[in-house]
Amino acid sequence: MGYKNKNRHVGIVGIGETKFSSHREDVNQPEMIHEAVRQALDDAGLGIDDIDCVVHGNMELFEMVHQPDMWHTLGTGAYGKSAFRLTTGGTTGGTLVSGADNLVASGMYDVVMAVGFQKLQEGHTTGGITNMADPLWARKLQSGALTAQAAVKVIAEFGEERARRAAMTYRIIMDKHACKNPNAHRAFHLEWDQIDDLMAHSPPLIGDLRLIHMCSQSDGACAIIFAEEKKARKISEKPVWVRDHITVHREETLNLANNYYPIDTTHRFAAEKLYERNGIDNPLEYFDVFEMYDPSAWWGLDWLRDFFLLEGDAHIRMVENREIMIDGKMPINPSGGVISTNPIGATAMIRVAEAAKQIRGDAGEHQVPGNVEHGLASSFGGTMWTVLTMLEKETNW
Amino acid sequence: MQKDDFSNSYVVEGKLALPYTYFAGRLGSTFLTTLRDQARIMGVRCDKCGKVFLPPRQTCERCLEDIRDKWVALESTGVVVNFTVVRQQDKHLPRKTPYVLGMIKLDGADTPIVHIIEGVDPDKISEGMRVKAIFAPESEPSILLINHFEPAA
Amino acid sequence: MAEYYGVDVADIFNTMKSRFRPEGAEGVDAVFGYDIGEEGKWKLTVRQGEMTLDEGGDLSGCDVLVKVDGRTFVGLNIGKIDAMAALGAAKLKVEGDFNLFAATGKLFTKYVPPGQEVEQEQELVVLKRTISVNQRFATGPVMGTFLKGLKEKKILAIKCPVCGRLQSPPREVCAPCRVRNDEWVEIGPSGEMRMLEYCYYASPDPLTGETRETPYGAIGILLDGCRKDEVFWHLLRPDQLDAVQMGIVMGDKVVHGSRLRPVWSENRTGSINDIRYFEIDQ
Repeated sequence: MGYKNKNRHVGIVGIGETKFSSHREDVNQPEMIHEAVRQALDDAGLGIDDIDCVVHGNMELFEMVHQPDMWHTLGTGAYGKSAFRLTTGGTTGGTLVSGADNLVASGMYDVVMAVGFQKLQEGHTTGGITNMADPLWARKLQSGALTAQAAVKVIAEFGEERARRAAMTYRIIMDKHACKNPNAHRAFHLEWDQIDDLMAHSPPLIGDLRLIHMCSQSDGACAIIFAEEKKARKISEKPVWVRDHITVHREETLNLANNYYPIDTTHRFAAEKLYERNGIDNPLEYFDVFEMYDPSAWWGLDWLRDFFLLEGDAHIRMVENREIMIDGKMPINPSGGVISTNPIGATAMIRVAEAAKQIRGDAGEHQVPGNVEHGLASSFGGTMWTVLTMLEKETNW
Repeated sequence: MQKDDFSNSYVVEGKLALPYTYFAGRLGSTFLTTLRDQARIMGVRCDKCGKVFLPPRQTCERCLEDIRDKWVALESTGVVVNFTVVRQQDKHLPRKTPYVLGMIKLDGADTPIVHIIEGVDPDKISEGMRVKAIFAPESEPSILLINHFEPAA
Repeated sequence: MAEYYGVDVADIFNTMKSRFRPEGAEGVDAVFGYDIGEEGKWKLTVRQGEMTLDEGGDLSGCDVLVKVDGRTFVGLNIGKIDAMAALGAAKLKVEGDFNLFAATGKLFTKYVPPGQEVEQEQELVVLKRTISVNQRFATGPVMGTFLKGLKEKKILAIKCPVCGRLQSPPREVCAPCRVRNDEWVEIGPSGEMRMLEYCYYASPDPLTGETRETPYGAIGILLDGCRKDEVFWHLLRPDQLDAVQMGIVMGDKVVHGSRLRPVWSENRTGSINDIRYFEIDQ
């Protein structure tokens, strides 16, 4: 696959996240972005002069501003520096991390800052997504990012009652996590005894996908600073190492065939390749935390099977037994995940930022208990794109 | 080599129409409401590098200093540092062509703003020309609260 | 009565009269019921640009009934809670005509809690725009041949010379095989429905800005002559949404979906609209 080991280790040395919200009338785009940039610089103890290169990204058409990286120089600090813009839809944040990691690993730059953002309140999200489809055919048919395909499949395989209950259990676990994260956009304080009520009464969007299952539309930004090993150790007391990342996508077609599991998804393909080349036999045993790009509760539930290479109903049981809770066997999204917070161009980057905070041990109230050494973060976008990022506490792999 | 057959190729008319909303933010709103209510143009100064920015910004992008409270009132007069004549008409343009778009550095500012220059023959405009702002307080809150610039004595 | 966010639920109702906007009530002729749990019940009648409010009593017969707890109700009125979020979390329930509920926002000026009237918030500038750009898309010979087929009531697929896969709408290449497709095959026009996206939420059409009627069904159909993943993407006849069944292939288990056939438009121009929708074939 043309994969080579890195030239040199790359560490995350600074992290910044804004508070996420759907009401940011008080700032324009560069001002909002700057909140994350300032935090990341302060977190690393660096000044803007220490940054060699800025990588900027969001998903176009949501704010209806083109080449925002130019205007945003006011907030990113890219003035006079090398700068790149990357945009790959929902995976943008993961691609930003991959890009920054490659730029440092290659030796091109020693210190790179990646900045992802979205200000969804400024545009029309569903209209924007629909406009990305093929204008001659799919624009007429596409329903934004909403789909009930995952629900259809999980229900067909495990039955209505079990599937619906598992999806809502997943949803409530994510809300319980979001309530611990002060940056989270939506935290409803849902209770376990609301499951039946929500299954019956949350407004339906498409098929069995209900409003409560679906991710929010958020405003916010995330910035991460990457440095090569020597500098990383100097800058940070606890740099988090980007061990590996993989991007998998396939041609732009929606699969409405309703052919069932096992089918080869980009998630499963990416996971298999990544674990294989890093010698990981049992990902459930290996990873201490997983920040998943879960745009809906149905997808989150279904994708657990792909990411952990599980068979049968193992992924459903993980949720039913609440093993994915913050203090469970395999904590998933202690941050509350994407259902609680989705500023699209920043979302996948927040997964990496949050997994890195868990490894540093300074995530605050939503810190996973115990020692966190190995983290996994996923990105999702388009008609099936996957970026997986592996983070480590030590460089002993 | 066989030539491609384009007899089945044609063109489909389409349109991209999407609403969006722009939030000026606190700093931008202060700038615009001051322009509207007091006919006064405000910039911000970076204490570190001494530059006065117009339009105002929260951060000096060179020093990365937070300068959101460092307001300075500017004159409504300035000098044309660069210009172009817009001659091709398009529905998105704010004026009938031909008209002049100038880069105008206001007295007291270090960065120029782009605006329309009227009251001068497009062929007679020159760099270094002194101009003054003509306000339009009835306009919606945008930079068109300054209707245009015109030659100053 | 309890206070939430420092606001009494009754105060929101008591100030309705002074906040009423006759211009916002134009064309509204309805009775709104508010069931605020332990806080009480209110009935709001809007008729010919005037309103009356009754406290307590029977809320049956209201055109729309809003059920919500006191905290959420106050939160909604002072802008602390988003209505869609509250609906999503089932903290707010709307029975009856949902569009009437959506119109209540226009009936009143914003509620301002007592004592906060003079507190001047900074005016934050918001500019609304609609970008509108005309576009011209070149079909190219491959998509052009396909669209031309629709004019003649034919659904064409293009075939990969290596793996034999059919694609419709067609693509010039087969991406996995990295070869140029070279053979046209007529498929369908009838087939078996596989996936149904039963859409309650409609997104605006980016070409017109119009929002289509809901519910509607976007479907994947395995047209006759196609195999495996070679499904065709179109719409289902709206009144047959509840009459169709999805087909499934799960390992050895195969369930066949409803048989569907296309309904062609009278005037065909070589576009997706040449097929109005698919309907049950019987």
